[in-house]
Amino acid sequence: MTEAVFRETTAEPRTQAVPLSHLSLELGHLYMEDFEAGPEHLRRHFARVRPWAEAARAFAADRAGRRRARVSTCFLIDDYFTRFASPAEVVPMLLAEAERAGLTVDYLARESACAVSGKVPVAEAVAGRIVEEPPPGSYGHRPPAAQTGWLANGVRSPTARAPQAMRKAAVWEPPRETAARRHSVFLDVELWNETPDGERLWSCPFLAAVWQLARLGLLRHQGEPVLDPQPHTGAFPDEWDDLPPLVRLDPRADPFAAYRTCSVLPSRFLPVEHAVRVVLDRTDVDREALRQIAERSAGEGVPVPGPVADRVSYVFCEET
Amino acid sequence: MLVFAASDKGGTGRSVTSANLAYQRALTGDHVAYVDFDFGSPTAAAVFDVPSALRGTEERGLHSYLEGDVTEPASIDIWRHTEHPVLRARQNQSGRLVLYPGDAGGGEFATGEETLERCIDLLLRLNSEFDLVMVDLSAGRSYAVDLVLAATAHPQMRHVAYRWLVFHRWTRQHVIAAAGLVHKENGILRSGVDRGHDEETLQGNIRFVRAAVPDPESAMWAQGSPAQAAWMQSCNRALRRLASDQRIGDSVVLGTVPLEPILQWREQLITEEDVLATQIANKETLEALEEISRRLTDDAYWGLP
Amino acid sequence: MPAPGAQPETAAPRTVLACGEVRTCLLPAGQALDSRAAARLLRLRADERVLVSERPNLYGRSPDTLTGVDCPLPSANGARVRAVGTVAARAALTEGRVLQTSAYFTLPASGPDHRRPWGDYLVRPGLVEPLGKLPCDAVAAGLLDGGRHGDLDVGLIAGGLLTRLLRHPLLDQRPPLRSRPTRLRWVALTSPPGEAPALERFTLAEDELRTVRLRVPEDIPAADLAGLCDDLALHDWLLTTLVRVLDGIRLGPAAPGSWPRSAPDGGLPPLVRALRPAVDHLLHLWMPRARVSGELAPLWEALEERPGFSRQWLALVQRVRDQLTLHAIPPVHREVEPAP
Repeated sequence: MTEAVFRETTAEPRTQAVPLSHLSLELGHLYMEDFEAGPEHLRRHFARVRPWAEAARAFAADRAGRRRARVSTCFLIDDYFTRFASPAEVVPMLLAEAERAGLTVDYLARESACAVSGKVPVAEAVAGRIVEEPPPGSYGHRPPAAQTGWLANGVRSPTARAPQAMRKAAVWEPPRETAARRHSVFLDVELWNETPDGERLWSCPFLAAVWQLARLGLLRHQGEPVLDPQPHTGAFPDEWDDLPPLVRLDPRADPFAAYRTCSVLPSRFLPVEHAVRVVLDRTDVDREALRQIAERSAGEGVPVPGPVADRVSYVFCEET
Repeated sequence: MLVFAASDKGGTGRSVTSANLAYQRALTGDHVAYVDFDFGSPTAAAVFDVPSALRGTEERGLHSYLEGDVTEPASIDIWRHTEHPVLRARQNQSGRLVLYPGDAGGGEFATGEETLERCIDLLLRLNSEFDLVMVDLSAGRSYAVDLVLAATAHPQMRHVAYRWLVFHRWTRQHVIAAAGLVHKENGILRSGVDRGHDEETLQGNIRFVRAAVPDPESAMWAQGSPAQAAWMQSCNRALRRLASDQRIGDSVVLGTVPLEPILQWREQLITEEDVLATQIANKETLEALEEISRRLTDDAYWGLP
Repeated sequence: MPAPGAQPETAAPRTVLACGEVRTCLLPAGQALDSRAAARLLRLRADERVLVSERPNLYGRSPDTLTGVDCPLPSANGARVRAVGTVAARAALTEGRVLQTSAYFTLPASGPDHRRPWGDYLVRPGLVEPLGKLPCDAVAAGLLDGGRHGDLDVGLIAGGLLTRLLRHPLLDQRPPLRSRPTRLRWVALTSPPGEAPALERFTLAEDELRTVRLRVPEDIPAADLAGLCDDLALHDWLLTTLVRVLDGIRLGPAAPGSWPRSAPDGGLPPLVRALRPAVDHLLHLWMPRARVSGELAPLWEALEERPGFSRQWLALVQRVRDQLTLHAIPPVHREVEPAP
């Protein structure tokens, strides 16, 4: 077929590619409590993480075969749910303790960037891509009342609806996980709630799912990459808002986004990450981004699994 | 335009009269939907003579739609499915006449936020498809009345024209009850204002239809004694005074349907055939129905310039 | 062996059947939407661009959204084949005036015996997989006829999207004319290699339902087929609607006192009042094949030959114009009333 003569750019959507590592390795999340517990707490955290981080690197190197494995490390700081101290206070201490444990942090991200990055409403966009898993019997009718702001891995227990006059009310039924094998592990995830002034407050698991998508290089806004790493220059600012959403601390670091992710986290994050999987398994990510990554990873001989959630792995370690 | 047919009591002839009005409008070329929101007793199909077309719609009617069990409510093209011989020979140039039935065996149900949203979806859709949407509401202070009051108060319905017809019989009890349904505690006006309606606008959109009104002059009573005639005249005067005191006097009456023997026996559509050929119905009844159906959209009867 | 889903395109099973349904209706708004407003209406996803095109006519199309399904497929011979996957749906607005929602999916010849994890389906958007082997012809016929309650109903997905869009705050719910939405249901079977795509049948079924059967080479994307069917549905709707507008007018002597009529709408006679919205909002929309892919565009020829879609349209347009011309002449100068 011959190439068309006439073109309209607004009629031809385009998706930009992002550079990719083999593995994005997360060294931890920092919450206010962790900061308040002092540098010793962080020191113990990094000491526990280190052997697992090394194991993850070794695994990535093994998978990459004869090529050099590109691995980048990252660390997430909560500035969304609570604002504490300042980057000038927190970041140098954090980096010093990581270094003491023999770890380097390549990228530093602010959790609020998973909600809104610059002017891009990232979390809202991801929420708009959720496709609920159909329980058997879903034939295209309107799904049973989506519980606004909630996402389940199955069918909820029916709520007692007042029956029509002179009809019987339904009896109780248990909830059911759609992919259950014989027995259910039913999970209902709160994605957001609303503050009294009507603003949407995104939940920690939902932002963590957005964070995973960012690390997997699957977020786009109208075709443009979201969470573009900014180089670090000079001292760290006194206000969180003055710190770029994603900072590249080491100019020679491998790309932030990667084919796969591994997060080393204290075990108390287990329920959060279960919820993250529920979200990832039901998110219809940018198809062009998905295709680009599938092609490139296959080209490098390290094909990614199809389902996005299967590109994510964890090490849950002891509490510090 | 949406027209809501309400009544305080059963037995006012609300359903049969509103069905006849829908039929009359369709004859004039309007596309008309007849929506059965008489949730406690969904029987409109009988008036239109479409019993067999109802088969298969038992679980897909308006009850199922509003409760979210089906996405699209069943509908029945009256001209095509009616068993009424006159109706089946659809008059040339008449508009569509479509019945949206309730579930057979459906009952009253409590309405919630989602029911309201589905109701708005339905009314918006019908409004863009039909010239006239006649909604027959359960009698009294019902969920149905509440539902459409809330729906029409919704910001997205602000440009959708609606009018209310309140049907009542011509007796003391019925006059008082009809006035109460509109003006008293938990009546249409108060509830409407609670749901965001402007009281004056809402009131301006309500008219009354007096149904099954015996005409003292009618030949039907000609055999009566002079004493009976005098008594009826005085009753009639007293009722008009009462109606006026109850704020449902002549100025807010859209029309009067005379007492029609065949409607006392059987709820049905009154056709020209019934008046001219078989002469089982009174000419006055048909004329009254034609006139009220015309006035539905005649702004002069709705206090508009 | 490569990991599953390593190359979604090549690893995706061969499809043998594509199917969809298009809903077409007049946008319930007093004024047509301009391209910016159209883009706002069609922004089904905050992060994905709305396709906006201004040549050869103003057209906007939303990104695809997905709906999960797990249910039996309709089939003509009563076979109950369960299928799981996602149906794609999108909306389009032509000249800011005609709104369409279109849902479609493809079916492979066979699938696994058990339902897979949901993430597997999600990375193959618009594919519905049978559990086991697909009785292709029976399902194709079943899809066109519409199945039993509980069978896959792609029309409900298109309808659900339409309902959602019709509630958009941009719409003032003041349509310039009353019109009925139409449904066009289509299936495409695969043709033997080397054969040209063909439109095998276009049926006007009940009042609002049209069915289309296509036979096309396997490599034509389902989105292109949906694009062709959107185009057929749009033009069929235009014909249907204009026929009804003309059906509704009463010719011949008007009722006494109807000329001149002092009405709030500027005293237009009823015939002009009935035809005017068609002139304002419909007559300029006819443009077959405007957005049909090159390989599929020739399929229009069958309909132009018989019954002659464009021929009927031109005749209707001519009739509208003739009526308006006649009515532009004040009655005193008319010897006879205009008649059909």
